[in-house]
Amino acid sequence: MKKLFIGFLVLSVGIGITAAQEKTFYIYKDKNNPSNHFIPSGWMGDYGDLKFNDQCTQEKASGSTSIKITYTAKKSQGQGWAGIYWQSSANNWGQRQSGYDLTGFNKLVFKAKGENGGEVITKIKVGGIRRNAQGELVTYPDSLEVDYGPIKLTDEWQEFYINLAGKDLSYVNGGFCIVFNADQAQKEQVIYLDDVYFTYDPNLKEEVKKTNFPFYVYADADSLDNHFCPSGWMPATAAQDLKLYTNWKENPLSGSSCIRIEYTNKSGTRWAGIYWQNPPNNWGSIPNAGFDLRGATKLTFWAKGERGGEIINEFKVGGISSGEYPDSDSASIGPVQLTKEWKKYEIDLRGKDLSYIIGGFCWATNIDVNDPHGIIFYLDEIKFEK
Amino acid sequence: MRKIKKVFKAGSLGVCLIFFSLFSQAKQMTIERNSAGGYTFFVKGRPFLIKGIIYNPTPIGSGYDYDLFSDPTKPWIFDGKLMKEAGINTVRIYSCRGADLRKVKKFIRELYKKYKIYTIIGDWLGLWDRPCPNYADKEFRQYTKKKVLEIVKALKDEEGILMWVLGNENNYTFSGKIAFWTSPEIEEIPDLYERVRKRAQIYYSFVDEIAGEIKKIDPYHPVALGNGEVSMLDVAAKVCKNIDVIAVISYRGKRFGNLFENIRYLFDKPVLVSEFGCDSYDAYKDKEDQDVQAEYIKFQWEDILKNTTFKNEKGTCIGGTLFEWNDEWWKHNEGYTSDWSVHNRQAGWSNGSYYFDIKAKDNLNMNEEWFGIVGLSKEKNEYGINKRAPKKSYYLLKEIFLKN
Repeated sequence: MKKLFIGFLVLSVGIGITAAQEKTFYIYKDKNNPSNHFIPSGWMGDYGDLKFNDQCTQEKASGSTSIKITYTAKKSQGQGWAGIYWQSSANNWGQRQSGYDLTGFNKLVFKAKGENGGEVITKIKVGGIRRNAQGELVTYPDSLEVDYGPIKLTDEWQEFYINLAGKDLSYVNGGFCIVFNADQAQKEQVIYLDDVYFTYDPNLKEEVKKTNFPFYVYADADSLDNHFCPSGWMPATAAQDLKLYTNWKENPLSGSSCIRIEYTNKSGTRWAGIYWQNPPNNWGSIPNAGFDLRGATKLTFWAKGERGGEIINEFKVGGISSGEYPDSDSASIGPVQLTKEWKKYEIDLRGKDLSYIIGGFCWATNIDVNDPHGIIFYLDEIKFEK
Repeated sequence: MRKIKKVFKAGSLGVCLIFFSLFSQAKQMTIERNSAGGYTFFVKGRPFLIKGIIYNPTPIGSGYDYDLFSDPTKPWIFDGKLMKEAGINTVRIYSCRGADLRKVKKFIRELYKKYKIYTIIGDWLGLWDRPCPNYADKEFRQYTKKKVLEIVKALKDEEGILMWVLGNENNYTFSGKIAFWTSPEIEEIPDLYERVRKRAQIYYSFVDEIAGEIKKIDPYHPVALGNGEVSMLDVAAKVCKNIDVIAVISYRGKRFGNLFENIRYLFDKPVLVSEFGCDSYDAYKDKEDQDVQAEYIKFQWEDILKNTTFKNEKGTCIGGTLFEWNDEWWKHNEGYTSDWSVHNRQAGWSNGSYYFDIKAKDNLNMNEEWFGIVGLSKEKNEYGINKRAPKKSYYLLKEIFLKN
């Protein structure tokens, strides 16, 4: 798991770091500034949900302009997330050798604020353009991949930094990447970015990875503690059979929301299930994507059925294996017959290898053991515990 | 059953090793556990790594009812030679139920005398019977036990016998994935998952009962519990007192992941990977791919070896029996006899761990008729059997086995 330490410091507008005094490599200083590098050309996911303005003059942390990004969270392409990569040359997904050797830098700094406060950036990435859509290594892969997030913004400029100490920056094509998630954003949001640059900090030490428990798969729809994404709909026909509401407000077990799942057999496939994956749609082809959850002894969750009696054949942790980088293990319980009231369940993880988990949670069932018209059930508080 | 505990002190190494001898006959089979928790299988006093293959050499045109032991062409005479050349030292037979046991004896004897190849004899414990087996049914249990013990009695004195394996993937019946069975006692349990665990308890108790009876007749060969993956082994650990080895069936792609450590945690016994492998057909590209099969088997065997005491003091694995010797042309449409002469290219099931062809239609990527490391041709050889065409994986295994 990449849990990077981030320090932030609330700055008054206008008090910026003087680039001239430091060794810096700018991604964005001001519109058309000659020191800018990388191009925000790599639009991903629900790209139709994004509006991008890199010469915003209404808000700026320093200089004359900032970047304004509006994320509508409408899921225009049905992905539930959207993002932009700043690439070393336009639309370079690893096919051209235009990346920079940034050896000697150990820190990425950026400033950000929200329009109103409360806006969520799901992830900031440095590097990570390594595989194509087929999961094959690209010709010129980034030499590092560092993720940070999520971040909840305020309506004031804050400076953030990502610790890159000890990372290999010898080839950086994806200099900066920002990702939003519709569940976390909940609604349209506007965020601003400014003064994005690499620098060197002699006091920065290499990050030691540490996982804190409980480690949530799902707490509430908008919780920044959530990990994994319910992107693995199974089988291919599942979109006809499933409706997933991750922000169901009626009678959650705790907090503001729970998950509601409606399952019918419209496709005739007779079975369905959903994997919570990291990152979304990772069936095992993406390197360095698994969370290290060693130390957890169980996964607990709460579930209930709309009527009681609904049968879920299997609840599972791990077990994704369709690629070079599979889950390090799997564990499951089932079948489980749900009750009408919330009930806690537990998957025993003792003796399991949890060093690399990409499939944080999964359920699967079939129509033959259930009401032929379908079932509705609810989940909440899904978490790994010590 | 006689159990002897021996304590050896390896003074020159300065290490004290404690060995628990599971079987007493020094000239036969013993399994010893070292102080690091590793297991070593000894045959006639020498460490023995099971470099095995599953053997069911169904000729082209024959099917599930093929009786190997009555086959006048005796394919094992020819195959045994090829196996020996490749360093294979064990064959695993799924079942010899219903066969003429005198002929089975002869098969075991010939393979051993001619090629020093041992035989592991298994029994399905009724898994594929119709009607489905009911392990809660007293009569079924008695009948099955009687049949297994008849086999053990008849074959136990053959020098070529290595081990008995009880069941295969019978644990998949607990949840009803295959061959569902139940009883009024089970149905009274309100919690569905507890019903599954109750079935496990009933089944494993039954296996243990047979294992105990086998030991009364034959204390010299280990008795293994066949199990599909690791599911329910925690239940087995609680009820099985007479099981010596876990014979695990595992298709996890290139590597076995945490399989060995997990079994150590659930039911700390020596592990035989009794079924593993890879087919040689790429269902996505719709063409034969011997390279991929060889690559997967290479990684799988390396992982097995890494988990034996030959390479790692803590190793719990005593070897593997690869699925399988030759392609079997009847398996895709097993009920359609005309198809038994066709080498079907259609895949029958899906396994994402074999991701090279998982993008095949409906994700069906496992080609059951292409798991052999030896291909068959319709042409017959001088022994009257289908000509053998060793695949790349055969030569790869030969290289690995002869090196180890």
